[in-house]
Amino acid sequence: MTEDILKESVKDELSTVGPVEIIVGIPSYKNARTIGHVVKAAQAGLLNSFPDRKALIVNSDGGSKDGTPEVVEQARIDAHSLLLVSHPLYPVHRLTTPYHGLPGKGSAFRMLFRIAEVTQARALAVVDADLRSITPEWLNLLLQPILALGFDYVAPYYKRHKHDGTITNSIVYPLTRALYGRRIRQPIGGEFGISARLAGHFLTRDVWNTDVARYGIDIWMTTTAIAENFKVCQSYLGAKIHDSKDPGSDLSGMLVQVVGSVFSLMENYESMWRNVLGSLPAPLFGFPFEVGLEPVPIDVQRTFASFQQGVRDLLPIYERVLTPQQVKDLEAYAAESIGRFVLPDELWVALIYSFALAYHRRVFDREHLVKSLTPLYLGWVTSFARQTENETSAQVDDRIEKLCLVYEQLKPYLINQWSLKTGEKRCEA
Amino acid sequence: MNRFWQQAVLSPLRELGQQAISSLSSLMGMLILVLLGLVVGWLAKELVYRGLRLLRFDRLCDRLGVGPEIERLGVARSCSYLAAQVVQGIIILTALLAGLNAMRSPWTQNLVERVFLYLPHVLAALVILVVGALASRFLGRSALIAAVNARMPSARLLSALTRFFVMTLAVVAALDELGIGRTTIIVAFAILFGGLVTAGAIAFGLAARDLARDLLQSQFRPGAKQEAENTLRHL
Repeated sequence: MTEDILKESVKDELSTVGPVEIIVGIPSYKNARTIGHVVKAAQAGLLNSFPDRKALIVNSDGGSKDGTPEVVEQARIDAHSLLLVSHPLYPVHRLTTPYHGLPGKGSAFRMLFRIAEVTQARALAVVDADLRSITPEWLNLLLQPILALGFDYVAPYYKRHKHDGTITNSIVYPLTRALYGRRIRQPIGGEFGISARLAGHFLTRDVWNTDVARYGIDIWMTTTAIAENFKVCQSYLGAKIHDSKDPGSDLSGMLVQVVGSVFSLMENYESMWRNVLGSLPAPLFGFPFEVGLEPVPIDVQRTFASFQQGVRDLLPIYERVLTPQQVKDLEAYAAESIGRFVLPDELWVALIYSFALAYHRRVFDREHLVKSLTPLYLGWVTSFARQTENETSAQVDDRIEKLCLVYEQLKPYLINQWSLKTGEKRCEA
Repeated sequence: MNRFWQQAVLSPLRELGQQAISSLSSLMGMLILVLLGLVVGWLAKELVYRGLRLLRFDRLCDRLGVGPEIERLGVARSCSYLAAQVVQGIIILTALLAGLNAMRSPWTQNLVERVFLYLPHVLAALVILVVGALASRFLGRSALIAAVNARMPSARLLSALTRFFVMTLAVVAALDELGIGRTTIIVAFAILFGGLVTAGAIAFGLAARDLARDLLQSQFRPGAKQEAENTLRHL
């Protein structure tokens, strides 16, 4: 790493604080409404769970003008109200600093990794600034596997409503699992525990002027940790309730950011995932308890209408991406009535693999390609919502597990087709 | 008598002979140049074709969307082949012009001069058309995907209109570059474009007042938009 992203003033503050063992990072942008609660929870978590370790809370801000840094400065907890078992040996220091580089969450993470390096921290926990459901226990769950058990990467495991996180359930989780062979249920969860070794490794990677710095950091970290054989695990955090992540971004934009990142990482780790078949569970820490979940209603009439219009109007695009049989199947399913509509897992997985292949071959502009997936994804959402309408949470989990197995079963098709050149005829899945 | 014979008959005949020899040598020169052009052109075509195939030029064109369009129109069997043919054509044309110039007649020299002066405009017009075709395709696809994702019922019409306008703009610019009917084309285009915009505005105002209100509301009162939006949480 040649350029130093830390300002002199930040270095001065860090030298005043001296070496620490733990860093809690809170990347933020316009989170004045919620960040106070997050800082307090982090402080309480550190005092409760790590009273004998020196810790620093760092808010890496993207230039908020809504008073976010001021809220961080002012957030204080009354240590007496925490009923601490041990008296804390060190005060919890805090630091607010704007990050350097491309605007985005990834640049904020880079700043945190660098601060962890400078302060020689052993572990770093990162939590979103928009969380409403964070509790002090989260810090223990994200940090203890690193400090006590030697893990490098702790991904979150949440209890979510059956219709919550549909991109994660339909594409990101099953595809990441099938590709890299590890079952990380929330690969883009937002809360992570990272060891000093892994943070240092992330810093050495030349990705900080790419989309990773802007929005692809979550999936990039998870994929890198798994693909490069770092020790990964999950911690059960309960329910995740947070302010809407980015109200301005539309669904196709989200797909470009998330699914585009997964497809792009497939290029980087081709040699790794081509040799993986099946998957292994990742250790899960924490006590899985039941939580009340906010229902997520889905307007299936609307999502189905989007699917039908997409199949009708984007057909010339799909004909360049999908196999003739897949196009024929899509047309047949789009002609169904909503009462009979069910998109088979096999077809859905074959569609995703075909999109991944088209992305790899640059059949046309990659942003257009991923955006054109939107109506098909809404078709999956319609089918999933209809099938799970009266199902319990456990039944829905089984259904997602079945989908994951289809991803794994059809992976040889992806591997075989991956090396074919643009002009060569593709076979059906 | 002998002098008269020399001046009136032999001398003109000699001059005619010299002119004929000169013309024949010019003609031979032209033929040689054209033949050379044909041979060099063919060699250059083969060389360019093979070179572009090695450089995977067809793959690049496929990505840009030019390849399928070339195939669809039946212009050439591939983009590399088309590029090679263009190079061959330029070399043959240059050889032909050089040959004509070798004739040294004022008419051919004037023609060559005019063609050489006009050639840059032709090339610029071609570049404008190619860029226009690529841009119309890209923007048409952008409009189509965005309109479908926004659930607009006439997505395909919008895409076709986008492509039509961008291509029309490119054709107008190309014709302007060539100096063909400059004023007429610009006035016609302005009338057509202005007329369509006015017609569209009137149609939108009369037929889609509710849509216009919703669009403005979503822009200036995002809260209202969110209420109407699906409550799905995708990530």
